[in-house]
Amino acid sequence: MIAFEHVGKRYGGRFDALAHLDFRVRRGEMVFLTGHSGAGKSSLLRLLMRLERPSRGRILVAGHDIDRLHHSQVPFYRRQIGVVFQDHQLLFDRSIYHNVALPLEIQGAEPREAARRARAALDKVGLLHREKALPIELSGGEQQRVGIARAVVNKPALLLADEPTGNLDPQLSADIMSLFEDFHRIGTTVMVASHDLALIARLRHRTLRLHEGRLVADEEVS
Amino acid sequence: MSREAPARRGAQTQRPSSGGRWRSWLRHHRAMALDSARRLLRHPLSSLLTMLAIAIALILPAGLWLTLDGARLIDTQLDESATLTVYLEQGVGGAEAGRIEEALAAQEGVTNARLISAAEGMVEFQQALGLEDALARLPDNPLPASVVIRPDDPSPSAVKRLAGGLEDMAGVDEVRLDLAWLERLGQLAELGRRAGLGLAVLFGLGVLLVVGNTIRLAVENRRQEIEVVTLIGATHAFVRRPFLYSGAWYGLGGGMLAGLLLSLGGDWLATPVAALAASYGAGFALPGLGLAGSATLLGCSTLLGWLGAWIAVSRHLAQIRPR
Repeated sequence: MIAFEHVGKRYGGRFDALAHLDFRVRRGEMVFLTGHSGAGKSSLLRLLMRLERPSRGRILVAGHDIDRLHHSQVPFYRRQIGVVFQDHQLLFDRSIYHNVALPLEIQGAEPREAARRARAALDKVGLLHREKALPIELSGGEQQRVGIARAVVNKPALLLADEPTGNLDPQLSADIMSLFEDFHRIGTTVMVASHDLALIARLRHRTLRLHEGRLVADEEVS
Repeated sequence: MSREAPARRGAQTQRPSSGGRWRSWLRHHRAMALDSARRLLRHPLSSLLTMLAIAIALILPAGLWLTLDGARLIDTQLDESATLTVYLEQGVGGAEAGRIEEALAAQEGVTNARLISAAEGMVEFQQALGLEDALARLPDNPLPASVVIRPDDPSPSAVKRLAGGLEDMAGVDEVRLDLAWLERLGQLAELGRRAGLGLAVLFGLGVLLVVGNTIRLAVENRRQEIEVVTLIGATHAFVRRPFLYSGAWYGLGGGMLAGLLLSLGGDWLATPVAALAASYGAGFALPGLGLAGSATLLGCSTLLGWLGAWIAVSRHLAQIRPR
């Protein structure tokens, strides 16, 4: 599903945020991405979302070299990946329901179909009863679940998450992670960047460890 | 796993048919048109102020254009009074003068010719100057007979050409035409037209700046929203759309205000203008915008609003990169 081939990312001509990244993620796999802050986890995800482009090497997603996408194709590429952000990135002037339905609105989905799928996604994260609430009325954990519902409402083949449990207590973090495992079980490729090592160790999935922009460990779990 | 087939799941299988795309495109346009109108109405005072600024920028060129339109009406009236006076040689009179009149009337480019005999000329002269006594004392009539000609084409250059041809005719002493003031009037009208066009361009730019600045602030206010929708796959067209509608609404509102203010101002000025025109013995009224004029004004203002928004959004979209 994802292939990094000798990928490097250099900022300002000197600083190598990522170097010599070479790995593959199979379709339907669940992978954790760990490392200290500054190790390059976010940079890697930004490359995958094509918010940035690699300085060296190439990145294949579903067989396509994403660096060669024309900028007019990028929105259509992004519609095929679901992204969960650490700071949720919800729109605070519209309801939970409208936040979740936003990707469908962007794609021009038929309203009735959009409503059905947005409600299904909200139901999946257990927040259907709060669909009319505004994000500000929700707790941090609930906001993150709304973010997840929005990321999966499209049924993306690839789900990326950047520190999705960053500010949550251990119980909520475990709940969030089990949601990602649910999507993994129905065949979605999931990549979660997190520095919550204890939680990652318990969940027993493949783990890519970054250190100073290099891949220092790729631990498969049998 | 090196190269995989493109994902057959997810968005790819959900791509709507072209008819569905067209419908969803229309749906989004309708939604954004309404949404941007609602946003304007949510801040009625500041929206009104923006529209008023646009209206003021539109009123000056539109008002000047109306004035020129009125002046053009006078212009054509004056053109109709453009005549040449052909003075016949001293001593030519009676039957010969009549023949020359007929010959002149038959000339190409002459609409009609009217003979004024020496005696008639004397009477007109006496009446005009009030010198009956002094002229009556003259032993004989010093005035020649003359023919007043109305040309087909009243433009100064055509009249000049016609006059040149007539001067060579037998029995014609001199052809008089008062072109200087006609030319001056033509130049004034041209000046007015150019000034109007220049002002229209300048104030059109003003409208672009007013709308551009307003939209720039709106873009700043919705920066986070723009970042988020860009992250989840919105195209530039999608992001731009609500702002373009806002710009078009501002333009339309400004145009409507400008039309209203113009008609109010026209009413306000009508009485003094009529009085002034009457004192010159002319019938002149400020023309109204009319249906076509109003449609042009609204069309231009809406287009300017849309364009201003487009420029502002495009400039700022390039700067807004999702973090």
